[in-house]
Amino acid sequence: MEMLLMGAVLALFGIAVSCMAFGAATRSEEEEPVAAKQAQPELAKAASVPARFFVEPAAVPAPAVAVAARVPMEALLLQIENHVRLEQAAAESFMAAPDAVRLHSRTISPFIN
Amino acid sequence: MLNAHPDLLNGLSEADAARVLALGRKMVLGNGAELFHMGQEAESLYVIMRGHMKLTLPMQVRGQEGNVLVEERTAGQTVGWSALIPPYRFTLTATAAVDSEILAISREALRGLFAAAPEIGAKVSLNLATVVGGRLQVFQAMWVREMQRVVELRCA
Repeated sequence: MEMLLMGAVLALFGIAVSCMAFGAATRSEEEEPVAAKQAQPELAKAASVPARFFVEPAAVPAPAVAVAARVPMEALLLQIENHVRLEQAAAESFMAAPDAVRLHSRTISPFIN
Repeated sequence: MLNAHPDLLNGLSEADAARVLALGRKMVLGNGAELFHMGQEAESLYVIMRGHMKLTLPMQVRGQEGNVLVEERTAGQTVGWSALIPPYRFTLTATAAVDSEILAISREALRGLFAAAPEIGAKVSLNLATVVGGRLQVFQAMWVREMQRVVELRCA
C-alpha cells in the first residue's frame, strides 16, 4: 500500500514538473516579466522578430540594429566608409575574374554583420 | 611633378602627354578642402598629381544629412569627368582627404587640343571611357551585392 502511494506521489510530481516545463517553453512574449523588458529597452524596441526556439541568431538582425543605434554618429560614418571600401574591393575582385561566387562572396564588414 | 602616370594619358607619347598637361592649372588643396560640389557646373576635369581625394554623396543617417564615401582616388587618377559629358554637372562632391595637388584642365582647352590633334583626342577619350566603364562595372557589382542582401532579408 505504501509503495503504491509513493508511486502515485512520484507520478503526480513528474506530471507537475512536465506541466511547468511545457508552460515555460510555450509562454508568449507578453507574459515575460516587465522588469526584464525594462532592463533592455532598446533590444525590446528593435526586436521586430519575436525570439523563438530553433531560429538561427543570424536570421534575427534586431540586436545588430540595436547595437548600431548606440554607436556614435562619427563612428557610424566610419563604419559606413569601411563598408564601402570592402564592397568596392569585393566588386573589383569580381571584375578581375567574374563568377557568381566572387560576386556574392560574404562580406566581413562589421556594418552589416 | 606627378607621383604616378595619369590614367587619362595612357598610350600617349611623352610629347603628347606634355601637351595635355600643359593645358592644366595647378591647384593646391588642404586637408578637407572641397574641390567641387555635387550639382555645380562642371567646367574642368582634374588629374590628381599628389594626395588623395574622397568622392561623397549625401545620405540621411539618423535624420541628419551626412556625406558618405562613394569612391576614393589617388595620384595619377582623374576626377570630375562630368566636365566632358553632358549635362556637365558634378554628380558627386570631391574633398581632399589629405593635402593634395591637383591639375585642373578645362573642357574648352581640351576641346581645342582635340580639334588640333585628333589622335590625342581619340586616345584621351578612350582612356576616359575606360575609367567611366570600370567605375560602372564596379558599381553594378556593388549594387547586385546589395540587392542580394535585400532579397535575403526579405525572403528569409
